[in-house]
Amino acid sequence: MSEILTKLEAADFINRSFKPLPRSYGDALVEAAKADSRIVALCADLVPPTETDRFRDELPHRFENVGIAEANMIGIAGGMARSGEIPFCHSFCAFIVKRALDQITMQAAYPKLPIKLVGFLPGVATILGVSHQAIEDVAILRAVPEMAIFEPSGPEYHAAMVRLALDWDGPVYLRMKRPETPPPPFEPRTLSIGKGVIRREGGDMTIISAGLCVAESLAAATTLGEEGIDARVVDMASIKPLDAALVLESAASSGAIITAENHSIVGGLGSAVAEVLADEGIGLPFKRIGVQDRFCEGGTTPYLMNQFGIDATAIADAARQVMRRKG
Amino acid sequence: MNRKRSRSGVSILELEIVAAKIRRNVLEICRGQGGYAAQGVALADIAATLYFDEMRPDGKGWFFDRFILSNGHDAIMTYGALAESGHYEMEDLKTINADGSWVDQSPIEGQPGFEITAGSLGQGPSQAAGLAWALRRQGSNARVHCLFSDGELQEGNVWEGAMFAGHQRLSNLCYIVDNNDMQASGHTRKIMSVEPVDEKFEAFGFKTRRIQGTSVADLLDAFEDARATTDKPFAMICDTKPWDGIDCLQKAQPLAHFTAKDAVKWDEGIAEIDAEIERLEAERTQ
Repeated sequence: MSEILTKLEAADFINRSFKPLPRSYGDALVEAAKADSRIVALCADLVPPTETDRFRDELPHRFENVGIAEANMIGIAGGMARSGEIPFCHSFCAFIVKRALDQITMQAAYPKLPIKLVGFLPGVATILGVSHQAIEDVAILRAVPEMAIFEPSGPEYHAAMVRLALDWDGPVYLRMKRPETPPPPFEPRTLSIGKGVIRREGGDMTIISAGLCVAESLAAATTLGEEGIDARVVDMASIKPLDAALVLESAASSGAIITAENHSIVGGLGSAVAEVLADEGIGLPFKRIGVQDRFCEGGTTPYLMNQFGIDATAIADAARQVMRRKG
Repeated sequence: MNRKRSRSGVSILELEIVAAKIRRNVLEICRGQGGYAAQGVALADIAATLYFDEMRPDGKGWFFDRFILSNGHDAIMTYGALAESGHYEMEDLKTINADGSWVDQSPIEGQPGFEITAGSLGQGPSQAAGLAWALRRQGSNARVHCLFSDGELQEGNVWEGAMFAGHQRLSNLCYIVDNNDMQASGHTRKIMSVEPVDEKFEAFGFKTRRIQGTSVADLLDAFEDARATTDKPFAMICDTKPWDGIDCLQKAQPLAHFTAKDAVKWDEGIAEIDAEIERLEAERTQ
């Protein structure tokens, strides 16, 4: 495969440029596979956009492009996993979750096999519109027993995603976002199953967010700080299992919570946090930021995050509202 | 002299001129922000034949026969054709993919020319079969055409649709397979071969024709054959090549799935098409 083709087909789905894109997840997967011979990679056609081109080129005997056939990919992975392999299966979030849900439940989750589902283009983040958007994938997979869901907030957590997937004894869904431009230099950071990361401390309220919304939440917290509102920002990279202890501690210490996610407000991180609070009988000023139970459209990521109310402006507005309710 | 007869009486030469103009539209639409130009160019003859001859007008400015696009990216074909027929303005189409534009690269239903929201691959054949079944039950003699690509044949859903169509003997249904040996990550034959495509559809109860998808004469022939087939559905396997018809852009072939705006010299391609249009129009006046 020519390098130029690889560049171009990656850009096809990510940012439509003619420039090389970073590959922090894909590199981490190759390194993990070199250390653990059970790891194999499957892909449903979208090799460079899912960062698996290096795996294909360096470990060709452990890589299969199964074609545009997501349900088939999960079935194949089931057979491989039953034989002792650890298949990482790659497509876009929309397709790997929604086109193969029955196969995921019956051939990965119920037998509790180490099948790792890796989706790209999370939430609204694609130029290709409704067909390629996954605004309900977290809700769907959160309801599947045995399934863990992890979402990185940036490339410094991409290697940790591979580690979490291997540490979880069973099926995993990684909700990945390929950076659209080369990120500034970063140190890889670790994550733990069932643990959120406090990215900013603050005692007036807590913003619990994941994925692309973490940077927006941090930006919102900076703005709020200038207005005298001191917000804690939690990066809930472990969406399932959720860090319930951190949710409860944040409720107790800050007295107001908003959630922010690149996903529908139905069934995702916001719902998970609300369930924890309700189960404990905690009532407090609360607001979910997310796509408002509607379909979206294609566009650039900043445009879409603004258009569908999940950017820093929307988060700051919601934070002011809950602070007024907090009184 | 034209060997073949079209359905509407339009000449092959006229359709070839239309196809060239569709190619030009495709390049003009894509040059600003890049696009699926290679597919649009390769499908221009199919579009000219379909929209300018095979599909009958409804007398109200639209078409009586039906067209279902199964994949999203081949929408560029429909855009290029419906700009030529006057259903779209080129100025609108040039906003394709811009933030807030109503012209989507992967079109949504409700936009002129698109009956379903495509883009999640392999779902068109079933919907087209359901539409054909309903039209037959309702006593309509409208025909249903569904375009999908060879890469989509990798989705099992395609074959479930074909199974239903064959079992139901939906003779008002015509599948058009863009057999371009190209998918997002390379050549279909290398990634996951779907050949022999024609024999597979025959086994599912279809009559098939395998043709050059860039030959208007072949296409007219195949559509005529499809209409004359009254006991089973029809599948025309159209062998096409990305950028077919624009020699100077053939060298961009490995870049073909999505053509970034900086990947090719659009002006050269448009100049080549203009020369072709001039040549064909000169032939017409002879």
